[in-house]
Amino acid sequence: MLEIKGFSKVYGEGKKAADNINLTIESGDIYGFIGHNGAGKSTTIRAIVGVLDFTEGEILIDGHSVKKEPLECKKVTAYIPDNPDLYENLTGIQYLNFIADVFEIGEAQREEAIRKYADLFEITDSLGDLIGSYSHGMKQKLAIISALIHDPKLIVMDEPFVGLDPKAAFTLKQIMHEMCAKGTAIFFSTHVLDVAEKLCNKVAIIRQGKIIDNGTMEELVGKKSLEEVFMEVQNEK
Amino acid sequence: MKNKSLVLLKTLLRSTSQHNIYKYSKDKKKKGRIIGNTIGFTFLYLLLMAYCVGVCIGYGELGIIDLMPAICSLTITALALFFTFFKTNGYLFNFKEYDMLMSLPFKPATVAGCKFIYMYVKSLPWNMSISVAILIGYAIKTQPAIWVYPVWIIMSLFLPIIPMLIASFLGFIIARISAGFRKKNIIQTVLTIIFVLAIFALRFVIEALARDSEKLNDTLMSAAETIRKIEKIYLPAEWFNGAVTCFAISDILLLIGVSVLLFVAVFVPVGRSYRSINSKLKSHAASKKFKMSSQKSRSVLNAIAFKEFKRMTGSSVYMTNVAMGEIFAVIIGIAVLFINIDSLIAMALQGAPVTKEILYPAFPMIIYFFPGMVATTAISPSLEGKNYWIVQSLPITKKTLCKGKMLFNMYLTVPFGIFATICLCISAKVPVLTSILMLVLIVCMCAFSTAWGGVCGFKYMRLDWENEIEVVKQGMNVTVYLLPNMFGTMAVAALMIFLGTMIDVNLILGILILLYGGLGALCYRKAISYT
Repeated sequence: MLEIKGFSKVYGEGKKAADNINLTIESGDIYGFIGHNGAGKSTTIRAIVGVLDFTEGEILIDGHSVKKEPLECKKVTAYIPDNPDLYENLTGIQYLNFIADVFEIGEAQREEAIRKYADLFEITDSLGDLIGSYSHGMKQKLAIISALIHDPKLIVMDEPFVGLDPKAAFTLKQIMHEMCAKGTAIFFSTHVLDVAEKLCNKVAIIRQGKIIDNGTMEELVGKKSLEEVFMEVQNEK
Repeated sequence: MKNKSLVLLKTLLRSTSQHNIYKYSKDKKKKGRIIGNTIGFTFLYLLLMAYCVGVCIGYGELGIIDLMPAICSLTITALALFFTFFKTNGYLFNFKEYDMLMSLPFKPATVAGCKFIYMYVKSLPWNMSISVAILIGYAIKTQPAIWVYPVWIIMSLFLPIIPMLIASFLGFIIARISAGFRKKNIIQTVLTIIFVLAIFALRFVIEALARDSEKLNDTLMSAAETIRKIEKIYLPAEWFNGAVTCFAISDILLLIGVSVLLFVAVFVPVGRSYRSINSKLKSHAASKKFKMSSQKSRSVLNAIAFKEFKRMTGSSVYMTNVAMGEIFAVIIGIAVLFINIDSLIAMALQGAPVTKEILYPAFPMIIYFFPGMVATTAISPSLEGKNYWIVQSLPITKKTLCKGKMLFNMYLTVPFGIFATICLCISAKVPVLTSILMLVLIVCMCAFSTAWGGVCGFKYMRLDWENEIEVVKQGMNVTVYLLPNMFGTMAVAALMIFLGTMIDVNLILGILILLYGGLGALCYRKAISYT
């Protein structure tokens, strides 16, 4: 579903934020992407979702090139940024309708999807309020709902659990399992290693723009915890 | 199936619509502020319209009413060009919700095009107020055929498009160049200022080209002739004139056709490089080169002032709008050192019998026009935006914050005001005592500007903006600051020049010092009371 081949990103200052990254995320994978602050996680994620321009490498989503066929890629992708900048002066429902319109979702389907996810995240009552009046967690929930309503084949999330209350975090994890059972691929970054360990079937560790380890959770962790492995590889390599 | 461009445009407009906030907000204070803003802006539009109708009637009385279509088109063109140029950076590039929009299935050209149309729609109330008012004045004086009204209105809708596209394209070039540099904001600001200066220079070139080689004695007739010639140079103005005076179908088609074609011509290259430019503008790699060394401590007020300085240099939208006046003050200051002030006065007043001594009280006011028409204190409270929590959570009062912001504006305006005044005094050989009084006056005027800015900035403080432009260029904070300040200064300058013919210049300067000192103190108290 998502193939990253030799992806590198060099910033103007000459610093490589991502260096020859190669990853393959299959349909049904829940792929964790972990690393220190500034390791290159967000750079990689922003390039995958077509926000960031890059010169080296290739990123394919559902067989389409992010560079050459960005619209085809975006039609099947959902992106949840770490700190969503939503339109503060729209109401929650206005924002969700905007997203539904952009993804050309029919009225009945959008109503059903909005109702389902808004109920699950318990923000149905607030959908008529301006987003500016929402707490950080509520904005995060709205961004998650907007990502889910068009039934994407690939979900890319940057720190999705930040700001969510325990119940919402649990709901999101359940939804992730449901989506992956349906064949959706999920790629997300996180600093919460316990969550990654319990949730993901595959994981990649990035340090200074380079993937230093990746594979299935069993291969990578063995009998240790992900936290131990992470600390070891960070210190070793 | 809905058209995606329309969906995006509708959402962009709705996301900054006061009506939407009013309808859904539960905050009564906010609702009250929206009503106040609506009344205020309606009043401003009416004021502007009344002024335009008055000018039209005046021109009618002087027998040059036929100039009104040209004046209408040239005024709208100039305003659209100038204001779009400043807005392009914030609206087309480097905007807040870029990540969200670009991750959705929109073509980059669609996002850029919709942002442009959004900018166009937002400027329509100003442009159409001018157009409709001039049409009213024109109609009163000429009683035109009934078809003139719809043609005028429809053509007016197309008038700002070409200058806005030119300004956007220039903004695109600036963004493209600056995206390649490490200090993007500084490069963007410098390039913007260079372009603005070039536009001003171009204006003089066009005027010089348009002027008759033989000097016309009659100032008004000379101006009329100049306008006619500029209209011949700037073809869209001529097309507008042809459309509204002769119903020339070819002119109508040309204005519409060129506007549409230019739109396509601009947004094809913009669309191609849109992601790459924004990627570069929004990406900052950590250099990781910092070495800990001894750090400098500052007083609380200076620390706030320094924070304001960093806030300004961190935003090219903010810096361009604020720094322009200071740069002009320097340019004017240096220029007057090399120009004979008497011939400059003679040229500006077209031979009116005024000596430089009579103009002395107006000197600081002329200088004040450069640093004084934008005050950081009017903008910076709103610019805190989502980061307002930082200062709120600090162990300082709002009063201290206000004082720190005022201190920064004084640091910014006073040196430039003093520099330009000294240059003007040297050039005009102003006596020492008068020069000292002028320097005191310019400092008082800067203090007034700072305090008045504080009043507007804190009274109309708005933190929930989507784009910096909303509070830097368009908000009630800047409008209320600018208009009374500008017209007040003009009126006081005119009055003082008039009094200068009867009363001693030093006495007038003394009165002005007291006036601006007093007004500054009053505004300071008022601004503090809002904190």
